[in-house]
Amino acid sequence: MLKAAWLIARKDLCLVMVRGGAWVQSLLLGLLLVFVFSLALPPGAQATAQTAATLFWLASAFCQVLAFNMLYALEDPTRARSGLRLAPVPVQAVWLGKTICGLILLVAAQAVFFPALMIFLAQPLGPGWPSFLALLALTDLGLAGLGSLLGALAPGQAARESLLSVIIFPVLVPLLLAGIRGGEAAFAPAIPDGLTRWIGLAAAYDAVFLGAALLLFPFVFGDDR
Amino acid sequence: MLTLRGVSKRFGSRTVLRGVDMSLNAGTLALLVGPNGAGKSTLLRIMAGLIPPDAGTVERGCSDTELAYLGHDTFLYGGLTALENLAFWERLHGGSASEAALMAVLKRVGLERFADARAGVFSRGMAQRLNLARVLLRAPRLLLLDEPGTGLDARSLATLRNEVTALRARGAAIVWISHDLAGDLPMADHVLELANRTLAYAGPAGSWPGRDALSAAAPAGGASC
Repeated sequence: MLKAAWLIARKDLCLVMVRGGAWVQSLLLGLLLVFVFSLALPPGAQATAQTAATLFWLASAFCQVLAFNMLYALEDPTRARSGLRLAPVPVQAVWLGKTICGLILLVAAQAVFFPALMIFLAQPLGPGWPSFLALLALTDLGLAGLGSLLGALAPGQAARESLLSVIIFPVLVPLLLAGIRGGEAAFAPAIPDGLTRWIGLAAAYDAVFLGAALLLFPFVFGDDR
Repeated sequence: MLTLRGVSKRFGSRTVLRGVDMSLNAGTLALLVGPNGAGKSTLLRIMAGLIPPDAGTVERGCSDTELAYLGHDTFLYGGLTALENLAFWERLHGGSASEAALMAVLKRVGLERFADARAGVFSRGMAQRLNLARVLLRAPRLLLLDEPGTGLDARSLATLRNEVTALRARGAAIVWISHDLAGDLPMADHVLELANRTLAYAGPAGSWPGRDALSAAAPAGGASC
């Protein structure tokens, strides 16, 4: 299953590189969010660490929705979804492959958002950045796993776009809150209290939702007609 | 190789198939015929395992790796080259064919000059030939074809028929949905005719009652179902 998942992830990455318009679009949307917010601040005012962290995860969440719309749309033109379903590999390999590819795209986008926040919102790197890295890893994993599950819900671009946006944000709230706490740790001058609890919450969320995704994906990745 | 017992299928309140019974031996080619909307594609997708029947059973005498499906939808990725598409589907089915082997199959379908061209620029006929190459690479034991001749020129259609006949000679069981009865009937061993949501005829091609009507229509340029 891992080999098949990596094959699918590599194929998707290759296709995104060839026709990466949608991913660049999501990157620009995130950057625009950061830039417009920086313009909204009064001259000389500095955004709080919590605000910067919130912006970081908002940009990441938008990027994730667009990325998974794009990744599942790759199968639409020639109904390759049926081909993947006929392949003699567990169908969960498709979920895992899309998760891996989505995770790579998300991390690449965040590698742009993070320095952009430091520059446009004048955020220094705080002492809590190791905790931020832990929460970043857990939150990204949850975002990618859930995005990959819900992205498969509806074949067809239009249906997927509306379904994904409507369903995913409410489900992501606990994970995004944990991510924002982690982001706060990255930018704040002192390490905030209770970070371990948030790391625990993100880990538990991942365990539950990634496990559920593995079980539910065969029912979600249905016929494309 | 393939046995269906009491297969029925409904889409909402509409019954598409009712009590379909049939069996197909290895080394046999069966034409699946019937008017538009008779449920031919649905039956083929049930045979492939792409959609489950509401009632009845489907037994395939081969493993998932030995089943191949070739339909209107090519399952090709426009952003990948012909060679990359072949390699992806081959690896996903557990194969490890060398580049030379992939090139040899491309040559069989007359696409060797386009090995490094992206499938997105292929005409419908070229895409279908590449789709055929994807199937030939695996030498399937059960081959399900949904109007595979759509978009093919006369030469490509002849290649398709030759390759399918060769697969039958090697013991493959083949179900072929055809809209070109005059061209496809001569190579068929059996005919499966769908009418009134069930199999109206399942038997030797030579005894199929529709053959007479076809002969009568032949001078006017052939017949279609």
